Order: sequence, then C-alpha cells, then structure tokens
Amino acid sequence: MPSQPSRSLVIAAGLRTPWARAGGAFAGEDAGHLAARVMRELIARSGLDPAALDEVIVGCVGPSHDQANVARVAALRAGVPANVPSRTVGRNCASGIEAVTTAVTEILAGVGDTYLCTGVEVMSAYPLLQSRGMTKLFSNLMTAKSVGAKLSALATFRPSFLTPRVALLEGLRDPISGLLMGETAEVVARDFGITREQADAYAARSHHRARDARDSGRLAQEILPVLGLGAHPKASALEHDDGIRDEQSPQALAKLRPYFEKPDGIVTVGNACGITDGACALLITTEEKARALGLKPLARLRSWAWAGLDPARMGLGPVYAASRALADAGCSLADMGVVEINEAFAAQVLGCEAAFGSDRFAREQLNLPRALGELDMSRTNPNGGAIALGHPLGATGSRLLLTTALELAHGDHELGLASLCIGGGQGGAVVLERVAA
Amino acid sequence: MDIRDFPAPDDAPAPGACVKLERPEAGLVVLRLDPPHRKLPVLDAPMLRDLDDALNALAADSTLRALVITGRDPRSFAAGADVQSIAQVTDAAVVERLVHAVHRMFRTLERLPARTVCAAGGAVPGGAFELALSCDLILLSDDPGTRIGLPETKLGILPGWGGTHRLTRRVGVPTALDLILAGKLVDPKRAKRLGMVDRLTKPEFLERIACDLAMGRLPFKPHARGAKHWLVDRNPLARWVIGRTARKQLQARTNGHYPAPEIALEMILRAPGVSMLRAAELEASAVAPLAVSPVCKALVGIFFASEEAKKTARLPNGEQAAKLERGAVIGAGVMGGAIASLMAEKGVSTRLIDQAPEALDAAERAHRKAIAKKLAKRRTSRAAADHAIDSLDTSRGMRGLARCELVLEAVAERLEVKQAVFGAVAEQVSAEAILATNTSSLSVDAIAANLPHPERVVGLHFFNPVRAMPLVEVVRGAATSPDVLARTCALAVRLGKTPVVTADRPGFIVNRLLGPYLDEALRLAAGGAPVARIDAALLDFGMPMGPFRLLDEVGLDIARHAAASLHAAYGERMQPSDALERLPGADGDSRLGRKTKHGFYRFDDNPRADPELADDLAALVKQQDFAALSEERIAERLVLVMLNEAARLLHEGVVDSAGELDLATVFGMGFAPFRGGLLHHADAVGLERAVEQLRALAEEAAVIARAPGAAERFAPCELLRDMAERDSRFFPD
Repeated sequence: MPSQPSRSLVIAAGLRTPWARAGGAFAGEDAGHLAARVMRELIARSGLDPAALDEVIVGCVGPSHDQANVARVAALRAGVPANVPSRTVGRNCASGIEAVTTAVTEILAGVGDTYLCTGVEVMSAYPLLQSRGMTKLFSNLMTAKSVGAKLSALATFRPSFLTPRVALLEGLRDPISGLLMGETAEVVARDFGITREQADAYAARSHHRARDARDSGRLAQEILPVLGLGAHPKASALEHDDGIRDEQSPQALAKLRPYFEKPDGIVTVGNACGITDGACALLITTEEKARALGLKPLARLRSWAWAGLDPARMGLGPVYAASRALADAGCSLADMGVVEINEAFAAQVLGCEAAFGSDRFAREQLNLPRALGELDMSRTNPNGGAIALGHPLGATGSRLLLTTALELAHGDHELGLASLCIGGGQGGAVVLERVAA
Repeated sequence: MDIRDFPAPDDAPAPGACVKLERPEAGLVVLRLDPPHRKLPVLDAPMLRDLDDALNALAADSTLRALVITGRDPRSFAAGADVQSIAQVTDAAVVERLVHAVHRMFRTLERLPARTVCAAGGAVPGGAFELALSCDLILLSDDPGTRIGLPETKLGILPGWGGTHRLTRRVGVPTALDLILAGKLVDPKRAKRLGMVDRLTKPEFLERIACDLAMGRLPFKPHARGAKHWLVDRNPLARWVIGRTARKQLQARTNGHYPAPEIALEMILRAPGVSMLRAAELEASAVAPLAVSPVCKALVGIFFASEEAKKTARLPNGEQAAKLERGAVIGAGVMGGAIASLMAEKGVSTRLIDQAPEALDAAERAHRKAIAKKLAKRRTSRAAADHAIDSLDTSRGMRGLARCELVLEAVAERLEVKQAVFGAVAEQVSAEAILATNTSSLSVDAIAANLPHPERVVGLHFFNPVRAMPLVEVVRGAATSPDVLARTCALAVRLGKTPVVTADRPGFIVNRLLGPYLDEALRLAAGGAPVARIDAALLDFGMPMGPFRLLDEVGLDIARHAAASLHAAYGERMQPSDALERLPGADGDSRLGRKTKHGFYRFDDNPRADPELADDLAALVKQQDFAALSEERIAERLVLVMLNEAARLLHEGVVDSAGELDLATVFGMGFAPFRGGLLHHADAVGLERAVEQLRALAEEAAVIARAPGAAERFAPCELLRDMAERDSRFFPD
C-alpha cells in the first residue's frame, strides 16, 4: 500500500557551489567555510530570516578534525543565530540526502517545520595520517619522564613508520567486505556481464551530457560561482563544475588501464567518479510555510526510502531503495520523468540498469513478482553525473535532489527519482513531485 | 608651588572626594580613583590634589606593607591628563610648575617602601599610564576594551609626567621610540609582550590578583630588561645607530613641522642614564613651551573636533543607533570593493554586487589579502579573520538584498545609472533600509528624486584609498531624515572614519575646495612656475604632498571630470585652465597619473619608491608671469584660493560649523594638521590681511588677463569681507 507523507513537504530553495576536482579550485577550503558560503547565499536569496530555522542539518563524511560538528561551524559562519541548533549527520555517500530525510521526518513528527539541509565535502582537506607505530612512538615519547625512557622510546623507530596512511584511501575501503569501492563495482560488473566498452561508452556520454547542460545554462541555474579560499592570486571564481571533459571519447577512455583489478577489470579512473570538493544547500519546509515565506517550492518530497544490501555489491543500492520508494509513492519506474542515479562507477549504474529490468533480480532480491521495469537511459542522468562532475561524498545527495527538482520544471516532468548507492552496502531513493505554481 | 594651587574646575568636589582609600586587610591599602564629578575619570586638578594628599599620608604610614592603585572598576581607570585644560593653558610657567609638582608626587609613590601595584583596565592613556609606571608592578585587565600607551606626541606635547624616562627604562630605547613617537595605544597582549606591563589577568580577577601580588601571595616578578639594558640602551654605538634611523623616519613623516616628537626622540635616546630628578627638569622644560605652542593648540583642537564629530552618530532621541548587521555595496570597483571590505572587516555582513565577475574576484582577493596582512601582523585573531572573510559575499546579480539594512552604491558617476540602481534596490529592501550613495559629483536629491521614501537616501562619500583616508562626508539631502543621517554617521564611526555632515551642494566640502586649489596650481605651472617648486612649496607648508603629486594620485581623468562638474555648478570662478590639455599624452588613457604609472611624475614599479618628475613638463608653460614666484607666494596663493571658497561654503551653510570644515580639510585633504585646519590657519594669518591679499591677486589677475575665471576666484567673498571689516575670527577664543 502506498504510504505518503501527511503534509506537503518541499524543497523550497536550493543552491550549490560548482563541483571542483580535489586539489584544485577549493584546495584551500575547509568544509565549514565552503558550506557556509553557499548557505549564506541561499539565506540571502530566499530572504529568510535565519532565526526562523528550527535546525541546521549538514551531511558530511569527513569533516576536518577541528570541525567535528561541521554543521555548527557552517551555521554560525553563515550568520544563523547562535540559538538555532545544528547537527552533522552521516550515511557515507548519502549524507546529503540523510540531512533532508532527517528533516522531513522531524517535520512529520511535529518537531519543527523549517530546516536548512546542506551536504558538503572537501576531499582536498582529507589528511595523511601517521602510522600506528609512529603514533605509539610519539605517545611513548611524550609520557617518558627520564632521558633514558625518551631514548628507549626513540629506539623503537623503524623506517616503515614514515609511510603515511592516506585517509582518503582508507575511507574508500569497506572494512566488512575488505573491498575498495571500485572493487565492489567490479563485482557488480561481473554479476551482470558488463563490458569495458559499455562502461567507457557510458562514461563518455556522461561528459557530453554535462557539457551540453553546462553550455545550455541548465547547470548554472543551480550553481553559485565561488572563489575558493587560498585560490591562486590570478585565479577567478569557479563558475562551472571543472571535471567535465568536453571532448571525452570511448576511444580515449579505452587507453586507460584498469585501476582496481589489473589486468582484466573494467573500472578505470576514466569511468569512475572523481575525487571532488563541493557543497549544496537546500531549504526544506512545508509547502504552506514556503508560500508564507514568499518562496515558490522547487519540488515536493513524495516518498523516500533507505535499503541495505550486500556490502560487496553496494553499487546496486539504488534499485533496492527505489523499489521501496516507488511502492510508497504508489507509482512505477515508468512514471518517472527523470531518474538520477549517482554515477559512482559506470559499471555500477549499468548494473542498476540491468537489475531494474531483471525479473530474476526482482524475485530473488526485491521480493517482487516481476522486474521494476526498463530504465529509460535517455531520461536517466540527463545532465550527466558524477563521472563528469565528480562525487564530493557528503554533498552528492543534496545535488541529486536539487538537480532532480530543477529538472522537473526544466523537462516538464511530473515525477522524478533521485537515488544513490552507499559505501557499506546501502541505497537511498527519493521520489520528487512537481509543485503546481 | 604646590598642586593645591592649581585652578580647579567649577564642579570640583570637596578635597579628598576623588580618591578612596580602602583597607581590606592589615598592611594593605587599595587606592581607588573615583571622582564624583567625572563619568570618565581624568587626572585633573582635584584628582591630582587628592592623589597627592593620599600618597603623602601613605608615605607617613608605617603600617603600610602594600598599596594597590586601581580604578572605579576593572574596565575603567583614568583617561590621563585633562585635555581640556591643555587646550586652555597659555602660560608656560604654569605648565612647568605643574609638571614638577606631578613629578614630585610620582617620586613619592615610587619611593614608598611598600610594594605598589597598579591594577588598570579600559583606556590607560598618557598620564594614567605614567601613574602606573611609577608603581613597582603593573597589572593590566585582559579585556578587548583595554588599551594602553603614551599618545602625547599626537597632541603636540610629550609624556612629561615621567613617562618619557620611565617607559624607556622599562621597555628599552627602541620600543619606547616606537610607542612614544607614534603615540599609538596597544592592546593588552601586545603591552605584555613589549614589557609595558608585567602581568595580565581577566577583569573579574583584577583586584584580587593585584592584592595577592602586593601582599606576596603570588610571585612578584616585575618585567626586567636584563642584559639588553647594557647591550642596547646604554651602548653608545647601538644608540647612535638607533637614533640615526629613528631621526630619518621621523623626518620623512613630519617634514620638520612637529617639534614634539623630535624633542621626545632625543630625550628617549638619553633617558636610560638619567636620574628621575634630572628627568623632571628635562621633561618640564620641554613640555612647557610645547603645551602653549600653536601646534599643540591646533592638534588638541582637531582632537576635540573629531570627538565632537562622532556625536553625529546619536539618534535624534539621544540614543545610540542600533548596530547594522547586514549591508550591501553595489559596484565592485576600487572604491566599492574597498568599502565593502572595510564593512565586512568591521562585522557588517556585506554583499558586494557587480555585473563584472573580474571586479568581484579582484575585490574578494583584495579583501582576503588585507585580512591576511592584519593576521600576519597579529592585528587580529584567526577567528576574527575568518569572520571578516566570511562577512563578504559577492553576487553577480542584484538579488538577495531583502534583509539588508543599508545599501551603498558605488557605480559609475552617471545620474541615470545611479537612479536605475536605487530603483532596483528599492524594490527589494524594506522602507527603513538606508540607500547611501558614494557619489562625489552628483546631487543626492537628484538621485533620490523618483524613489519611494526619499527620506532614506543619504550621501556617504568616502575618499580614496578608503582604508587610509579618515574622513567621510555624510551628505544630507533635502529629504534625508535625521534618523537616517545618524544611522549613517554611526556606520562611518564604526568603520573607523570621522563623519562630517554636509549639505547637498556640488563637490560637497573637500572636492569643492580642492577644485580651485588644484586648478590654481595648474595655472601657476602654465604661467611658468616650475612644477617642482609648486609641489615643494605646499609640502613645506605642511600638506602631505604637493598639488601635482595629488593630481597624479587622484587620476588626471577623475580630476578633469571633477573640475568640469564644479565649473558647471559654480560658473566662472571654477573655470578650469587649459594647462592639463597641454600635457603630452594626457588626452589619451595612458597618462592618467599613478594608475598608469605616468602623469606629472613617473612612478616606479615599486610602490614605495619616490616617483620622479616627468621631464616634459615644459610643455605646460604658456607664459612667464609666474616664473619668479617664490615658494612662500605660491603656497599663500593656493591656500588663499581655497580659503575664499571655504568661506563661501560656510556662508551658504553647506557645513554647520567652522570646526567641522577644518576637520574636513585636515582629514579629507591632509591640510597641515599643525595649523589646525584651513580656517584656523586663516585666523592665524588674520582675515583682514587675507582679504587684502585676495584683492591684490584679483587685481593682478585682471591686469595679466589670464584665462577666464582667474580674477573671480580671488575676489574675496561676502563673508570674508564682512568678517575682515568687523575684525572677527572663525574661532573666537
């Protein structure tokens, strides 16, 4: 039975920074500042008095060590009054959506009615860590009282201690399955017999769609140009997502070596998403409140769902979550005018395509009599996706919602689906509905 | 002569009332400066009298083990000597006796066998710091409002109550030179680092810690100069090197017009080896003539005028205007960007709007650079710097203004552009939001003409470079409400500027005076007076730079535009000369002054290097009438032409008072501060003489028959003639 929210919940406004390749335009940023920049702008443009917010919720996977509750830092820097609380939420790659589903759940529970929900990730700022041996050595050295004790602490030094641990890499390995995210995509590819050619063709198309969406001004609708902190003295503000390769081709992609499984794997750096920095803010409230604030809502949240699955096949998460969200919305995949599936890996999106259309998968995995339906690839990720734009973990979910919401009006659709796969074996999906003007 | 013999103000309280002695425990006395007649305690005659009595009594008290001198509360101590009485004193002998008397009193304090601790907070300037320096230990309140230092040289005197000598002994010659010659007050952290004070504590603990220190319950460790005393302060070679550099720097800054810092410099260099008895002689004989000199009176006058100007920030009901939280600047040019940056730095959340992305980027970069520079110099904290950077947002579209409380436009100087901008802004902001224009040549009333609620439109005219120039002209349009005016002045004060309110007349104050001044300089050059001589003459007069250097700084295109609009507004007397047209290349856009590195001067790539005069200035010369004019005559002439216009301006009521006009000349064009401003200078010359000279110049101009306008600008205006006839002054004593 469909179960829809008892109140009309809307994305009242949204805005994001351009997605910037890590180590590039936002290399000198920190999550708190980048998120605050886009939040401040969203507040100013919406004319909202931030004192009216019930809470600020920020999704972020890796805030820097001095911003443990990065939501608080970002909120205060964005000019939100100190008496408005703020919290950081996490669901790995879906943290940005998690911020929104947390908010709407609270609205339905009567906790509040106006939330600023942001997703942010500055992957450039992910640190190098000292090895365990080195950490132990430092700790022994600091507690050592006598010269002898200090010397003996120093004597435990081994050259191997100098090898740093890369937080980014360790973060992208699932500790349960022991697989890197790219390796889980290889599992999905093998399951569904997806070829390197298919993956590369998909990746090239993502770049071309993103290029066209940028050139037509479609992407600019959601982007706030930002001059990153510490930007080069001659650099100008970043206006567009900088990962888009206008001339990307399957031929060029074919030259890359498999990154995760050599030599026979199909996932390369060219058909996977990039390491990226970005922030995206959404104002989540009820339709009634949005109109009272003088805002024209971008979209209504019709339903949402989270689902869990085998961590080694996490890339299929969207299918699991979408089956529930669609059921709750009381509609089918074919009803969706636009579908966003986060492009963690081309192989993984193509795996989802296969799984959506597979009766067997539906029976064995989703407990459904037959397949959810064929995924219309012309309506899937119409403006490109993470392979071209990048995937700043905590921010991606927010962008998917914003992009889907804007696409409803842009493509004149009634319904849209935003979904993503989540490291650790989960999926998230939200069904958005166009709001009558 | 004794302290008791000095004239006390009329409202002086009974003897003994200004100082309270408390004995919280055996052997300890807390001496509190708490004058009933002063909201802000100062070391005026009644206070000094009571302090002297108290210290004499304590000196005779054999049970005294420890003395704590403190203020009314941990955030207020005393504002130093009474500046009002410095302004009034005319007899050098009186000053000399007073200095000796205070020295005697401070020596009594210094020689007390008891441990003495000064526990101060809030502003601790000048005499208040000198009182603290006479104690064994200085404890300072670590509070954002606390500032300490010796600013005397800024008022044309020097620290004469022992400060010159005691501070030098405490912190050494180099630091004392920095502190006393610049006269800047420093924050607690810096004061501790430099050794000006011995210990910091939170204001809530000030008195308790002071008592504990005095009674020996906490370690008593006065700041010690250590080996540096012998290596630097008493090392003749080191002193010679330090002295040479300091003299050079001072000369570059003051051009020899300010005797006080020069005397202070020499005194500080010798201070380490001088006894306090001898120090009293030296300081007294130096301060006495300085305090009665016209330079001191002029500087004190400017000080009072600028304090007075800050009162314009009061609302009509007498209350302080609410703190502005959100503002916007439209137009990210050099000026708009700098104003937005300053607003953001001072905590106003500011949107900077421009259609040109490059301009926004440049402004944002300049803002971050300015903040980074402050951070590097430890003038701000990391958190405050982050806040300053977060407070500036850029936007390419005219949106997001709904909640702005003030929108300042700094777009192109074209009426229709400005009207269009305000029209668009008015659709977004509330009716209470201030619409401020940074126009320098357009009418505020014309800009406001078709707007709903014209009472919220006001002029807020900054000068370039925004961060360096201390003046803003706040322009009151015909419709501007007093409330809006006060709120705008309050913003100016918050931005660290001195506001002067003017009526909506073309050129307002500063540009209207600079117009004929600069043009007259051009006419002299056309008449054969060498440019180098003209610039030297005005520099020598006490201007920060000569008129041609100023033209280069302003930009020749801007100057030409300003001259044309003054001419259009005021007619013949503002008719620009044709000299500028003869400057080779100045009709294009490659020779516009500093911004193109070439004008009357050639500018080096290094911004600190002195520019050199261009070698083709002979092209300016048309006649030889002024070839033999002396520097004195040149300066006199340029100042007279300004004076004549200033009198007109005052007569028309463009500015409310002569004091404000003088303030505008000093802060807006750098008119020789030691002369106290243009009208003070006129008083000193004598108006009768000024009118005579003007008449002579007008006649001469008629005879030589130079370009049109020459005679009109010298014809003495009605107010001047009138005042000269009545033998009156702009500032009657």
